[in-house]
Amino acid sequence: MLELNRVQAFYGTIQALKDVTLTVRSGEIVTLIGANGAGKSTTLMAISSVVAVGGGTIVFEGRDITRLSTDRVVALGITQVPEGRMIFPALTVLENLRMGGYLRRDRAGLRADEEHAFQLFPILKERRKQPGGTLSGGEQQMLAIARALMARPRLLLLDEPSLGLAPMVVEHIFAVIARINTEGTTILLVEQNAQMALQVAHRGYVLETGRVVMSGAAADLLADPKVREAYLGDGT
Amino acid sequence: MLEQQLINGLTLGLIYALIAVGYTMVYGVIQLINFAHGEIYMLGAFFCVTLITAAGLPFYVAMLMAVICCALCGILLDIIAYRPLRRAPRLAALITAIGMSIFLQNLALIIWGSRSKPFPRASLPAYLSEQALVMGQVGLTWLQLFIFAVAIGMMVALFLVIHKTRTGTAMRALAQNRTAAALMGINVNAVISFTFALGSAMGAVAGILVAVYYNTLYPTMGYTAGVKAFAAAVLGGIGSVPGAMVGGVVLGVAEALGAGYVSSLYRDGVAYAVMIAVIVLRPSGILGRAAIDKA
Ligand SMILES: Nc1ncnc2c1ncn2[C@@H]1O[C@H](COP(=O)(O)OP(=O)(O)OP(=O)(O)O)[C@@H](O)[C@H]1O
Ligand SMILES: [Mg+2]
Repeated sequence: MLELNRVQAFYGTIQALKDVTLTVRSGEIVTLIGANGAGKSTTLMAISSVVAVGGGTIVFEGRDITRLSTDRVVALGITQVPEGRMIFPALTVLENLRMGGYLRRDRAGLRADEEHAFQLFPILKERRKQPGGTLSGGEQQMLAIARALMARPRLLLLDEPSLGLAPMVVEHIFAVIARINTEGTTILLVEQNAQMALQVAHRGYVLETGRVVMSGAAADLLADPKVREAYLGDGT
Repeated sequence: MLEQQLINGLTLGLIYALIAVGYTMVYGVIQLINFAHGEIYMLGAFFCVTLITAAGLPFYVAMLMAVICCALCGILLDIIAYRPLRRAPRLAALITAIGMSIFLQNLALIIWGSRSKPFPRASLPAYLSEQALVMGQVGLTWLQLFIFAVAIGMMVALFLVIHKTRTGTAMRALAQNRTAAALMGINVNAVISFTFALGSAMGAVAGILVAVYYNTLYPTMGYTAGVKAFAAAVLGGIGSVPGAMVGGVVLGVAEALGAGYVSSLYRDGVAYAVMIAVIVLRPSGILGRAAIDKA
């Protein structure tokens, strides 16, 4: 479904991505793990065309999307929940959701998807008239995911959905991620919380300073001693 | 006397408000002080008069067409001058804005000459210059009522566009977080163009109303009006649309009272004194709430 082939990206003269090659197949949850500054967010931003690709290609469903504009990428079916959530603080919860469905014109479908979002995250329904900026961190993460789903993406990019959240909330968010996937959405999940990510994912890639250094089935990575030592806190 | 000053101040203030929303909306979405906005206001007046005198159009038709032309000029201004600098340091765009202001002013000087022109009053419906309301010493002309109605009507319409339409909501989203807006599938450049069109249309209406009200138009008229309206936008909290509206009215009334009770020599001084006071006492403006109230 999605193929990154030797993708490179630069911030000025700093090369953030040196060689990122990865594949996401339809129906999968694939996770991308790695330390701070490894280039995980940059990879997602390159897919969404927010960061320009300096080399290599990105192909989505057989179509080269390397140099498309961000809104074209979204129109093709790739939506991102960015790191730090980036909800619109002065728009109400409902307006945030409407922005998620910006490119869609099917009113009835939008209404139904709003209801579906409220079903996934009942708290958002209570808060629907409130400005997004007044929500708690966990609620904002729920809103960010719900907002992205309003686009009916075929591929959902999630950047650190567990960041800064209480363990209970993280559990809830990961349960929802699994549910979204079983409902038919393919997911590329970036996480620092490698334990949780590898438990929910089918396959994983390990990124180190802008390069994919390891990949495989999630269960194998979870059992790999090197991965355990570097990313799962097995210092022993 | 006081009532008359208030009416004059309100008229002027509504016009400032119309111009100020253009500054504040553009600032909200691309953090640029569009110094050429005053020139769009000036062009509105000249387009309208030219359409009346050269093309022989009736006033209302000429006004509508001039406003549409200015909306297109605003879009063009952004595409030609500012879009190439979107990723450049802000100072580069700011200097370009000043350059575009000077360029447009001189272009108008070349086309229409430097002498100020009277507004072709014959084209105006006759009732506009009659008194609509007289109460003792206080009078209100139909023209003033027309200005009130147009200005308030446009601001209500703008409010509805910003808050009730899909594109208006996209505008606010863009003002709050450009990356997130793009990730929603919003075509950022299209929404910026839309913002320029809206702001320029409001500015053009103001230019036409002023030319009619004072019965004069000249190529440098955008300068003072631009600075005053910018002051009004800062007064209300730059980036805030309701703020620009309130700021314009407050400034217009303050000016009229200052001119009426102190000396008309202080008219412009009042505007700047008010702006400086606000910057010192409440830098975020009357309605500014840091970043959260944008657009
Ligand atoms: N806007 C930017 N300008 C310059 N350098 C940047 C910018 N954003 C990221 N970088 C650099 O690019 C590299 C990769 O950053 P990236 O944000 O992709 O890492 P990450 O894996 O997502 O890290 P984290 O886990 O902390 O989110 C880092 O060295 C970072 O310092
Ligand atoms: Mg990151």
